Amino acid sequence: MAILEVENLRAKYSARGPEILKGISFEVEDNDFFAIIGPSGAGKSTLIRCINRLIEPTSGDIRLDGTDMLSLDTRALRRKRRHIGMIFQEFNLINRMSVMDNVLSGRLGYVGAIRSIFRVFTNRDIQRALELLERVGLQDHIDKRADQLSGGQRQRVGIARALMQEPNLLLLDEPTSALDPKISREVMELIRTMANELKVPVLCNIHDVQLAKEFCNKIIGLQDGYKMFDGPTETLDQSSLEEIYAMEVL
Amino acid sequence: MTMPEKARPDTLRGDDVHREWSRFKYPQTLINYGVLFGILLFFSYSIHYLNIPLERILGMFGRLGDVLANRYYPPDLDYIADTDYLDSVIETVQMAYLGTLFGLTLAIFLGWFAAYNVSPSRKYIYPVARLVAMGCRSVHEMIWAILFVTILGFGLLPGVLALTMFSIGFAGKLFAEEVESIDMGEVEAIRAMGGTNLQVFVFGVFPQVRVAFTGIAIYTWDVAFRAATVVGFVGAGGMGWYLKRNIMQIETERTAAILLSIVVLVVISELISAWARSRVSKAQ
Amino acid sequence: MQDQATPLTLDDVVRLRRRKKGVQFGIFAVLIGLVLWSVQATVIDDTDWQRIGTLADIGESVAHFIGVDFALIPSLLGPTIETFMIACIGTLLGLVFCVPMIWFGALNVTPFKPVTYPIARVAMTLSRSIHEIVWALIFVSAVGLGAFAGILAIAARSLGFIAKMSAEAIENIDHKPVEAIRAMGGSNLQVMIYAILPQVLPVILGIVIFEWEINIRRSSVLGLVGAGGLGLVFFRQMNTFNYPGVTTVIIAILMLILIGEVVSHYSRKALI
Repeated sequence: MAILEVENLRAKYSARGPEILKGISFEVEDNDFFAIIGPSGAGKSTLIRCINRLIEPTSGDIRLDGTDMLSLDTRALRRKRRHIGMIFQEFNLINRMSVMDNVLSGRLGYVGAIRSIFRVFTNRDIQRALELLERVGLQDHIDKRADQLSGGQRQRVGIARALMQEPNLLLLDEPTSALDPKISREVMELIRTMANELKVPVLCNIHDVQLAKEFCNKIIGLQDGYKMFDGPTETLDQSSLEEIYAMEVL
Repeated sequence: MTMPEKARPDTLRGDDVHREWSRFKYPQTLINYGVLFGILLFFSYSIHYLNIPLERILGMFGRLGDVLANRYYPPDLDYIADTDYLDSVIETVQMAYLGTLFGLTLAIFLGWFAAYNVSPSRKYIYPVARLVAMGCRSVHEMIWAILFVTILGFGLLPGVLALTMFSIGFAGKLFAEEVESIDMGEVEAIRAMGGTNLQVFVFGVFPQVRVAFTGIAIYTWDVAFRAATVVGFVGAGGMGWYLKRNIMQIETERTAAILLSIVVLVVISELISAWARSRVSKAQ
Repeated sequence: MQDQATPLTLDDVVRLRRRKKGVQFGIFAVLIGLVLWSVQATVIDDTDWQRIGTLADIGESVAHFIGVDFALIPSLLGPTIETFMIACIGTLLGLVFCVPMIWFGALNVTPFKPVTYPIARVAMTLSRSIHEIVWALIFVSAVGLGAFAGILAIAARSLGFIAKMSAEAIENIDHKPVEAIRAMGGSNLQVMIYAILPQVLPVILGIVIFEWEINIRRSSVLGLVGAGGLGLVFFRQMNTFNYPGVTTVIIAILMLILIGEVVSHYSRKALI
């Protein structure tokens, strides 16, 4: 069953600016590890930010778990966003806070104003955070500040933070492009394991075709705001790659 | 709005294992709270010791507004349009200009001597230079002005000297910090080819810090000009003397006009500085 | 300056160099002219060399100041503590009054830009361009002699700098953590607490400590206009011509500032 349906999505950066997405449609199924590939500037990042409306689409339709995302008001959007975990290219951690506080901050969507001021989290949240930190292999760095960690470790904090939300969908925005190849593979492997275990579908934009082929079961290819390819990973061949990356030499 | 929450298997083990974590870290948290408590205690004791009527602070704004509106308004603009006063404004600018210039010239040497990495002698000159810089900076410009007035009598000269002392200390410290952060490779190169200390400074150090020095010089001018508007208070020349006289005679509308002129002058000086700064960063 | 298509001839290079030298010479000449004019006005016209006398006379007046008045030391303790406290409370009060100005004065958080932003900017400029002595006079006339006026003067003088630097810190924050908190459904308050404050709080505290160190120096002279502290003792020694006493007070000020510098250095290091 499709958890996320995107239909004829259009978006621009500014009202008079050029159109970044020119009518994109696709569906993410329940157990998908779904990749968006394409050259830089193709609109991958914009597309993924339209799903949780960090960027407002100009028209189109996004249905997540049956909810019409574009009709939600601010409050409802926030309540919906807490079920969408997001992992960022440059980790977007709160550098001056500890690893533990960063992971706990994944619960903010569930926590009221007063408790977030004093950083009071329930025992259940703390247990889950500790468990996640163990799973991502950071149990020895719990009280370190986030800016004392290496890139790979920071992305692991980012993963734990996203999973803290108990998400129904994980959005990955170039999760590995700030990391070296070996660490990239480890991070992707970790995400796949955790996603499988928690049965969370993943929508991932990624510039590295090799990684996409290795980890994802479905791929769409964007170029200049148009969808050039849509299908299972096995069907992505040299000719479709050339179509997606028309301007570049592979 | 309903949230169709599907029951996803939370395969994280959950309550199997009880893990321990607490925001409280012994002894670090204790020390942090102790320090915080100590500071708060000190503040409340200070308020008590100095007899600060905290409850009057908010009410004071109303009073202050009243006083300003009734006694200081309207400012007596004719008074500051008077030639005597305008002369004193020009004198103030001249005083600040000379003081800053002398001070900066001396501060370049002080910055060189007081920078640990290139100081000609780490054993003798460095500590002396540090001490001089600290002394010049710590003594407030008003105190310098009083001292020089005592020694030299009333006039612009003590004002110039007070501002010179202030600029030496102010710019000297900043210069020294700038010199201490240079790339030592170039210094080493000059030393390796047998350069003297002076040559090391002129060829190895100065080119690296020239732009930063210019920025510091502009900053020093800003601060020194503000000081120049009030050193006249103790007889060291410039418009400060007019300010003092009118305050003493409770000529509040004239005082307001003088204060207004000070603000306008400082803003003009800041605009010029901002322009100079943008020129410097463009030239860089 | 030159189009790449037309290569520079030797003549061009020489002319350019000459023009550059000319401009440099012009600026230099203006600066020297200003110096001469200023020297003429301040040192030659205005100075009463008769009053100053010979170098020996100057030496003699300087010599008055040599020495320490040990009898004065016990009575310095109270004013020293007072000066220190005026600096501390004044900085704290300045910080409190600063909060609305930081809020109004940072472009990216100011509530109503065409009105609140200019108000904050004007207030910051006013605060910084009026010297602490003048502020002290204004407050002495409003609340009377004593430490309270001194505290208000310190607060009024320092809030402009703190507010200006802090507003800049807020304008320059890293927006990535903001995006992260938004993406997980955080409210504006949560964005403030988890994404903005952790970035700017250490910066603001650093600025406050820096300003506190300067405020110790400022509060040491407020007594000159009756706002309490060491300045009052200084003035009294000066008026009774007790020059060794003056030196003693200056030494006390230096010690206090040294303490402030050490505390400031270590606490700012601890913040990073």
